[in-house]
Amino acid sequence: MRRPRDGVRLLVVVVLWLLLALFVLYPLARLIARAFSDDAGFSLQPLAAAIGNRDNVRAFRNSLLLATLVGICGTVLGFLFAFTVERTQAPRGWVRGLDNATLLPLISPPFTTSIAFVFSFGPRGFITHDLLRMNNASVYGLSSTLAAEALTYFPLAYLALRPMLAGIGGNIEEMAFSLGGSRWRVFRTVTLPLTIPGLANAFLLLFAASLADFATPLILAGNDLPVLPTQAYLQITGMFDLRGGAILSLFLLFPAAIVYFLQRHVVERRRFVTVTGKGGAGTPSQRISPLLGVGLRLACLAIVVFVLYLYALLVVASLVRAFGANYSATLAHYHVIFTEGLPAIEDTLIIAIIGMPLGGLYGVVMGYLVSRTRFAGRGVMEVVSMLNYALPGTIVGIAYLLAFNQRPIALTGTATIIIACYVFRYSPSGIRTTVALLQQIDRSIEEASFSLGAGSLTTFRRVMLPLILPAFFAALSIVFIRSMTAISATIFLVSINWTLITVRILENMTELSLGPAAAFSVFVIVAVMVVTSLLNLGLRRLTAPGLRLAIARQ
Amino acid sequence: MSVRPRADPVGIRLERISASFNDRSRGVVTAVRDIDLEVRPGELMTLLGPSGCGKTTTLRMIAGFQEPSGGKIFIGAQDVTRAPANQRDIGFVFQNYALFPHLTIFGNVAYGLEVRRRSTDEVRRAVDEVLDLVGLGGFGGRLPNELSGGQQQRVALARAIVIRPRVLLFDEPLSNLDAKLRVSMRAELRSLQQALHITSIYVTHDQEEAMAISDRIAVMENGRIAQLDTAEVLYRRPASAFVAGFLGRANLLRVTVTHVENGRATLAIGNQTLVACLDAPVSVGSAATVIVRPESISIAPPNGGLTGVVQTRTYLGEKVEYEVALAGQTLHVVRFDPAEDEGFSPGSTVSLIVPEAKLRVLDPGAGPT
Repeated sequence: MRRPRDGVRLLVVVVLWLLLALFVLYPLARLIARAFSDDAGFSLQPLAAAIGNRDNVRAFRNSLLLATLVGICGTVLGFLFAFTVERTQAPRGWVRGLDNATLLPLISPPFTTSIAFVFSFGPRGFITHDLLRMNNASVYGLSSTLAAEALTYFPLAYLALRPMLAGIGGNIEEMAFSLGGSRWRVFRTVTLPLTIPGLANAFLLLFAASLADFATPLILAGNDLPVLPTQAYLQITGMFDLRGGAILSLFLLFPAAIVYFLQRHVVERRRFVTVTGKGGAGTPSQRISPLLGVGLRLACLAIVVFVLYLYALLVVASLVRAFGANYSATLAHYHVIFTEGLPAIEDTLIIAIIGMPLGGLYGVVMGYLVSRTRFAGRGVMEVVSMLNYALPGTIVGIAYLLAFNQRPIALTGTATIIIACYVFRYSPSGIRTTVALLQQIDRSIEEASFSLGAGSLTTFRRVMLPLILPAFFAALSIVFIRSMTAISATIFLVSINWTLITVRILENMTELSLGPAAAFSVFVIVAVMVVTSLLNLGLRRLTAPGLRLAIARQ
Repeated sequence: MSVRPRADPVGIRLERISASFNDRSRGVVTAVRDIDLEVRPGELMTLLGPSGCGKTTTLRMIAGFQEPSGGKIFIGAQDVTRAPANQRDIGFVFQNYALFPHLTIFGNVAYGLEVRRRSTDEVRRAVDEVLDLVGLGGFGGRLPNELSGGQQQRVALARAIVIRPRVLLFDEPLSNLDAKLRVSMRAELRSLQQALHITSIYVTHDQEEAMAISDRIAVMENGRIAQLDTAEVLYRRPASAFVAGFLGRANLLRVTVTHVENGRATLAIGNQTLVACLDAPVSVGSAATVIVRPESISIAPPNGGLTGVVQTRTYLGEKVEYEVALAGQTLHVVRFDPAEDEGFSPGSTVSLIVPEAKLRVLDPGAGPT
């Protein structure tokens, strides 16, 4: 059954399809075309050669190994945190502190943890050199890359698992107790099996994040652990071999596609838990022994302290003359980033500020369209809109480089290409938030507006927009955070005219000017915190009082 | 002023309206099949039926929320089949109220007038007047979730009538309210509708509500209108077993016609006989179904005539319900205001008296039983 349509929506759909075709499908097509051709035309020869290359195979194996290990370790950490918060009677303030600490890695530039690892465990590291008096300690390799990535990405697992554990609720567990199960037995036979879909989902999230991670391996992996994203980057920037880079990035595509498929079609279907809205009223103290509760909390605390220690190192390193050698205080590094580094800061902020409203609007409009309207190709549009988000950044970056390097659409070297990359890569989380929010708003609200004589434009502006404002602001935040911190895709897109802070951090790291790198990182973290708090404040101001009340009562 | 009666209520006409859609698991589903319906100007017509009968789909097509897959819809003389909802000049009252949660009560009621670009003064006057009318004067500054369910539904009603729609459409508006409130609200709704004289269509699955509120009722079954008439005709002369069962309770007895004379038929049930008045011709020797309401049957100590055996007796205060076995079939009998010593206990044989005018022989061509 269809609803009588109107012209405005048709226009919006057409415009969105054009944008998706240009900024999602076309680059991807160019990437694939380049990988499956040689100078003469279609050919599998370059691909076959790449598969036969032992270095590439090694990078592929390393990527999978690293992603698997990060998936396991990060999921364990995330589960520890989620379980501790949901199942021990941790005080409210304690939980809030934990939440804030776990948020830190999510809003930091991708290599903050890696840089801090160098400061802590490197040849002149605080622990290795200053405390343990080791000389020539090596921080580079699998274990440090794994540790840094696990610490960076486990908050994703925590955020995914916590609602899952809360949803299982105490009632089911109490039921099991009432049947005479011991605490351990209940955990083993009830809690864990119910959480398995969530655990699998968390694992896949982290697997994908690690697979796509470019910055951490670039800094910490060293020469013995080549992985696909770094190899593709070196292929292009070091050997100017675009085809080789394209093929390597396609190597990434296969595991990423498999993960995507598993998440959508296997894990999603196996969810047993449905949120009923009825909180378990049970007393949590029954569910785990008090001693274990204390132990779990101490374990979380230790990890949080370690994360905070890493960030403290970063701050210290930005404020001393030469970390590990000369600890006299100085603002010189900040002076450097605000003079020499100023263009990068300006460029990054301009790009972030332009991209933010575009991305927010795109996310909200697309989310509204895919969840609230029906038109031919709606499902396809939803999948296409998620593509750049689901693909590893390296693929997207190389695809953009190939697509917009020459006419008809020469965008290389402009800010437009970077902004487009961010908008289409990071707004999809705004789309998801919008869809989730809209699911809670009954369709009859819109129909009421139509029945009162309002057209779809008025309805969107006067009714839906105020209701999905929180999603809009969430999208603004994400696009801003990512514009400030992302590197894996945009490292291929920067130019002399437009560069980014993250790229400057990377350059500083390779030139071993660690002080400015630390100062840049601190600047990014502070800027992100300031802007996201301003956005939160704005949201609270703009949210209609009725909605605020409704949200508060939920 | 906005809430004064319209001088010229218009009718609604559906011509062979149908609705089918693709369902992922069931394939093509037809929710409404070729319905013809004519609602008279100023009338309140109820669409009554069980869930899935197509009543809400029909209403939503009239509102313009869904497009019919075939047929035409007229409001007054205007063909609105392809017109979007916002151009149909309707008022719609939703089951879940559908108030805008971010707007105040005033903002909610004013919305339709603002969309129509009325002046601020006019909006204020009209909103105040209609809020008074629904008994919510002074509530304009509140937010929807600060009101009770009944109050919210009044706001929804005020919001729908303030724009002076040509047609009011109600989609089970009272089903989220508790039983007592439902009864008082439906009386208010009815008197308001009559005062405003707005042509209205009301969807419900509650037969008592339908009977209390409607000028006429269309009983729907499987996407079709099974019978359309006043509540009294529907109850007294149901066209099918479905209609009889949906409005009130009904006994359906399988009988054989043994004799027809002067509009009266003699019917055999087991080895006993019944006499019924006939509305439609039946042929001698054919099997038939007769309908009789539980309250139409009298029950007495055995004294000949139709006899049965009491199987259960349920005391319910103002009435007693009996199940009586009769020639292998079960008959429900209700006795109101039972005397204290009245007690036909299970197992006892009783006489059943059924006035012949209260027995209705179903027309075998009237549809499935």
